[in-house]
Amino acid sequence: MRSWRILGVFLLTLLVSGCPKQQQGPGDSDLSGPGGAGGLGSSGIQDRNLAAKDPGQRTRERIEREGADRGAGGPLSDVYFDYDAFDLSTEARNALQSHADWLKNNSGAKVEIEGHCDERGTVEYNLALGAKRAKAARDYLVNLGVDANQLSTISYGEELPACKESTEDCWQQNRRAHFLLVGR
Amino acid sequence: MSGIGLRAEPAAERYNRNRVTGLLLGVVVLLVMSPLTGKAQINLQITKEGGQSLPIAIAPLQGANGAEGSGIGNEFAEVLSRDLDLSGYFRVMSRGGEAGAGEGVLAEDINFQNWSDLGALTLVKGVVSSEGDNLTIEARLFDVALRRQLGGKRYRGERRELRRMAHRFADEVMLLLTGERGPFDSRIAFVSTRGGGRAKELYVTDLSGRQISALTRDRSLSLGPSWDPSASMLAYCSYRHGGPYPYLLDVRTGDQTRLSSTVGYSGGRWSPDSSTIAVSLEQDGNSDLFLLTPEGRVVRRLTEDSGIDVSPTWSPDGRRIAFCSSRRGGPQIYVMDVGSGNIRRLTYQGDYNTSPAWSPKGDLIAYTTRSGGFRVMVMPVNGGEPRSLGAGEDPSWSPDGRYVVFSQRGRLMIARRDGNSVKELTRGGGDDTSPAWSPRLE
Repeated sequence: MRSWRILGVFLLTLLVSGCPKQQQGPGDSDLSGPGGAGGLGSSGIQDRNLAAKDPGQRTRERIEREGADRGAGGPLSDVYFDYDAFDLSTEARNALQSHADWLKNNSGAKVEIEGHCDERGTVEYNLALGAKRAKAARDYLVNLGVDANQLSTISYGEELPACKESTEDCWQQNRRAHFLLVGR
Repeated sequence: MSGIGLRAEPAAERYNRNRVTGLLLGVVVLLVMSPLTGKAQINLQITKEGGQSLPIAIAPLQGANGAEGSGIGNEFAEVLSRDLDLSGYFRVMSRGGEAGAGEGVLAEDINFQNWSDLGALTLVKGVVSSEGDNLTIEARLFDVALRRQLGGKRYRGERRELRRMAHRFADEVMLLLTGERGPFDSRIAFVSTRGGGRAKELYVTDLSGRQISALTRDRSLSLGPSWDPSASMLAYCSYRHGGPYPYLLDVRTGDQTRLSSTVGYSGGRWSPDSSTIAVSLEQDGNSDLFLLTPEGRVVRRLTEDSGIDVSPTWSPDGRRIAFCSSRRGGPQIYVMDVGSGNIRRLTYQGDYNTSPAWSPKGDLIAYTTRSGGFRVMVMPVNGGEPRSLGAGEDPSWSPDGRYVVFSQRGRLMIARRDGNSVKELTRGGGDDTSPAWSPRLE
């Protein structure tokens, strides 16, 4: 579960003003990650559930393994949504019921719920819509008694389509919540 | 960008620098019978909106000693030609050919009749000289019919700045012929899959669309770049360490810095005074707008609503923010007064309007609408009839407010804001999306 709560709790990984100004062509440099500099905690404590794997690595693997978006990927099937909507259909609820049963029987399993959109619409709006879809699926599972600590959410917006053709059939496959097993 | 060392100054006075004063140069050629003299006069004017294209001939730069300027002279002419074509105001003619053979670059040394016979009404000629790695370029714009110089510039800089000199002269030609400096000495950042697969990286191109360099190589998702007012930093959305998180990228060094550890970022825009970034952050599934400092501290929460609030864009005076919200059903464009927090709805046509972009002139908002496919629209800030610029998504304004760049089926397009000219900027090698036009470079 996404665990940050209060927007006052911000880690400043690097102060922008402190960046070295080197004369160097764009793209030539080693791209430094945020981990190295350490955080200057401004206030409060940030707690985040430890994932089995660096979440950035997970995204990179998701990008590489295009086929994983299609068809049977793990025990939990995709749940589909209507266009520009994040409410759960009867079919979606039925699927989530069986997902909930599986998750309760496999209480060590951890799942990242990915919210996805079809290509129609703009990137930023679809990121927000994907977040709503992931949240809707997550909340339904929690209401069915799944331990919230088994679940995390991420929105991929329209960035990782399962199907690439511009057809209604394809779009339907892309408007989905995808359940990625990230630990057991 | 102080390190560029590109200097522009008016070409020396000895070149008889005639500014056009009451004469009227432009796109539409009118043969007017003067009621007083009965003689025909040529009257050129670049019309503000609409209109035809002004024929302009662009000769390759000559070498300083009369020799051909070779590769440098051709490259300058190519970049200039490309810019003026993109501008939509010009019909760029074959670059010289026989017409300019053997003639000089000053008004008295040019056989204007030859250029006139080609159909050119305006002409660019110039000279390049080099010393080591440094170039000096003198470029001049002539009125062919009146056989006189309209303006000229000398640029000095390193060889690698040649293209910027050409872009600057394009801006100067625009100033001389339209009364307003052009937007070509700038850059466009965008997102592309041209690196292969599904990874999305940030790229930046000059306005030729042909000097494209990668800014990220994360093999992850980098989305929604937005320039700071100095055109040196980009705010963007990255999944390189999970997320999505807001990041800053120093365009000169390539350094990427996570702006905040708050996950759920979908995009943001720098305020015109660069003091804050308006962002959309998702919290428990719902996206709202916030103001962040460039150090990542939350200054203020702007919206608190159960609908999606994304894609904030600032009015040039920094007093208002337009954004996209689904607070009343489908996404529509709203305008907020930052001081009072008052919000009014801007768009009423269509049931899906997203990704607003506020013109730097302040008068128009461009956005994406869904009507069958997706189209880029512009409409007055105070309401009024939207106008289509063509099929596409995610508009971003040129620094002069006369053009919009947007994505259309995986390529970037540049349209004049009146919709009368739409030209392709990039194509090929993957999907190019989410363009962000920089402010003018220094």
